[in-house]
Parts: sequence; structure tokens; C-alpha cells
Amino acid sequence: MDVVDGMDKTVNEVEVRGLTKVFGRRTVLDKVSFDIERGGFLTLLGPNGAGKTTLVRILATLIAPTSGEVRISGLPISDDSAAVRSKIGLISHSPLLYSDLTAEENLKFYGKLYSVEGLAGRIDELLDQVELDHRRFDLVRTFSKGMLQRLAIARALLHRPSILFLDEPHTGLDPHAVDILEGLLAYIRRDHTFVMITHNLEKALALSSSAMILVGGEIIFKKSREELDIEELKEIYRQNVKGEGA
Amino acid sequence: MNLSQIWAIVKKDVVSELRTKEMVVSMFLFVMLAMVIFNYAFGAEKNDLTPYAGGLLWTAFLFMSMLGLNRSFVHEKDEGCLDGLLLSPVDRSTILLGKMLGNLIFLIIVQVLAVPVFAVFFIEVNFLGRLGQFILSILLSDIGISAVGTLLATISINSKMRDMLLPIIFLPVSIPLVIAAVISTSGALAGAGSPDELQQISSAMKFLVAYDIIFLLVAYALYDFVVGE
Repeated sequence: MDVVDGMDKTVNEVEVRGLTKVFGRRTVLDKVSFDIERGGFLTLLGPNGAGKTTLVRILATLIAPTSGEVRISGLPISDDSAAVRSKIGLISHSPLLYSDLTAEENLKFYGKLYSVEGLAGRIDELLDQVELDHRRFDLVRTFSKGMLQRLAIARALLHRPSILFLDEPHTGLDPHAVDILEGLLAYIRRDHTFVMITHNLEKALALSSSAMILVGGEIIFKKSREELDIEELKEIYRQNVKGEGA
Repeated sequence: MNLSQIWAIVKKDVVSELRTKEMVVSMFLFVMLAMVIFNYAFGAEKNDLTPYAGGLLWTAFLFMSMLGLNRSFVHEKDEGCLDGLLLSPVDRSTILLGKMLGNLIFLIIVQVLAVPVFAVFFIEVNFLGRLGQFILSILLSDIGISAVGTLLATISINSKMRDMLLPIIFLPVSIPLVIAAVISTSGALAGAGSPDELQQISSAMKFLVAYDIIFLLVAYALYDFVVGE
């Protein structure tokens, strides 16, 4: 058994088999299959419309697949979504925060939905980590984009999820906010399994244990960090993400 | 279903609304505007309008409730918070009941403010002796509106034409409720003149109870399907 930092790395945290999603006549995901080991960090790359966000929304139980099977921590998402959702955290470009509540009120609200034990202490700890303790009583609508994203990270980590889905978390952040985000991800890296969608290859590969390119709803490239030739990845990415600043 | 989670959703909606007041104020202004228009429509030398007061009241309340129902999910959707709710490990019925109770509270707040003004404009009899019956008929109607309205507002919020879709699907479903609400509220305001009228009012109240139970169960059963995609 390969145990690192108290986590059994031989166990798959995410298992996806033949996942297909059809919207109307459009097949957005076509028989996608892959695994992510516990403690792994999968970077999901691909052009706009490739199905990356749809894939993450299915893994996060926000939309149902048309066919195929998804297991999170061994639990099929179709059978016991509530148990699966308690293991998931999502950070997307939308912070999922209420602008007319304060930072503390937002975290209290989500903490109650997740039945977080020792909620007050957990909120103190997280606000301190994301450097927002001094703004805890301010309305979220007064926050900058970077502050919103930091609070979104606190919200996503509040219930101590084992898997974090990150959908382009760097979008709209200034360099300082990116540094804080990177620092936080590095800090929590060893305790969590990650799936991150990004267009930023350098940032993605700094933390990843594997990378996958999705084009037209199909996986065209997936390799672990050990097998990964970064130049090959960049070349495939450039070929498939033409005109998107790649 | 967890009561503290339901209360957390209600409290979140109430605190947000207390800060912005956008939903309650727009609903109240709509009711006031409707009353002013009704007042002018019936003329300065109007006869006693008490027999028609229930109809006038529910015309204003029905359209006012749609304003609130539409707004109640706009923040959830526009700020992406609906995903936040759906990501949490709570039953979908918990979300339904939390949002429904929030909508019910906002309806009641506006009605508490609007009914005294309405009474001054349109009611020329003393109905304080039937105040309990009046409040019961309003509450039973509000529960039905909140149950069916929250379900349909959830369906419409995922549509691009959500502002148009809610009235299209809400009005036909709520018409039976409103007819019963008009009969029971008019009865409470004017009093029952004959045994037949008393029978009609009693039937309307029973219908309201049945409507509430049926649509609470329908909303409970269907919410899991409508709140997802």
C-alpha cells in the first residue's frame, strides 16, 4: 500500500466510467473514463466548449449524466448524492456567496447547511488563513474580486471536503490574489484530491499529479506527472486551443 | 429534513431582505398603486365596495406575490448561489421549505402593511368581529401561493424568459386558489348573510386547506426534479 501523508494513494477518489452527457442534440461528453487517485491533482485542459465545466458539474452532482457511472470516494453519485456532496468543495469563477450578507454570515450559513462541528472556531481559522479576518463583518458586496475568491476558498473548505473542484480559479485575480490562492493550494495540497480546470499551463503543472486534455467531449490526452513530457503537452494544447491565447 | 437548515435558509433570506428591502418595498408599492387605481376606477361617489373587497384585495395580492416570487430566486441564480445550495448535503425538500417560508414571511409582511390601508379605502363595515376568519383565509391562501409559487419560480428561474414564464405557469395553477380566497375573504369582510353564503364560505375554506396540502405534497415530490438542471 502506497501511503503518503496519511493518505492511501492506491485508492481511487474519483472513478469515471463511460460518462456521456447530451444536451438536446449536442453530445457534450462522449464516453469519458478516467480515475484520480486519493491525494491526486488532475489538471483539466481544453478549448472553450470542450465539456470541462460540464464534467466538473457532473462530478460535483450539480447536473446528472445522460449515461455512465461516477463514483466519488467509492460512492456512486446517483445513489447517495448527499453523502457525496459532503465530501466535495467547489471553487469556480462564481464565488457562490451572498452579496448582502457579511463574510462571517456567509460562512455561518454554509456551515449550518453542512452541519459543521465547531463552526465558530472553523470560521475563525479559515478567515485567518485567507487573510480576511479584518473584513469578517463587512458585506460581501464591498469585496474586490480577489477577496471574493479568497472567501470562496474559505467557503469551499469550510466542511473539510476531501475533494476540491476548481473551475478556472485564477480568472479575474490580480497577481497578489493569485499568490494567495497559490499559497493556499500548496498549503492544502497534501490533504485533498483536486480537479482543476485552467488555461494556465504553467500554474497547472506546478501542482498537478496528472494532466488531461478534453476536446469535443473526448479525452485526447491523459498522462501522469511522471510520464508527462511538458513540451508534448504544450504542443497538443496549442494545436487544440487555437485562437484562445494559448 | 433538518429544521436548523430550513431556518438557516429562511434567516439568510430575511437578513438579506432587511438590508436591501428591494422585494418588500416593490411588493408594497405595487399593492398601493393597485389600490389607488381601484379607488379612481370606482369613482369618488362609490357605493359600499365591501362585497367586492375580497376580489380587489386578491387581484392586488396575486400580482404582488408574483413580483416577490420572481425576486426570491433572482439573487440565488444571478450570484450563482443556487449552485451553493445544491452543492450542500441537504435534502432538496429542505431548500424548498426554506425558500417557501421566506416567501410566506415576505407576503405576510406586505399584507400586514397593506390591509389597514385597504380597509380605509374600500371597507365600510366593521369586520373586527370576523378578524380571525379574515386572517385564517389570508394565511391559508398565502400558504398555497408560497408552495405553488416557490415550485414554479424554481422552474422559471432556469429559463432565459423567466420574467415572462412565471406568470404564464403560475396564474392558471393559482386561479382555483384565488377564487376560493376571494370567497372566503369576502365572507370574512362582509359577513355571511344567509346559510347558503355560510356554506359557500365554509366550502371555500375547506378548498383552501385541500389546495395547500395537495400543492405542498406536489412541490415536495417534484422539487428534486425541478431544482436540478
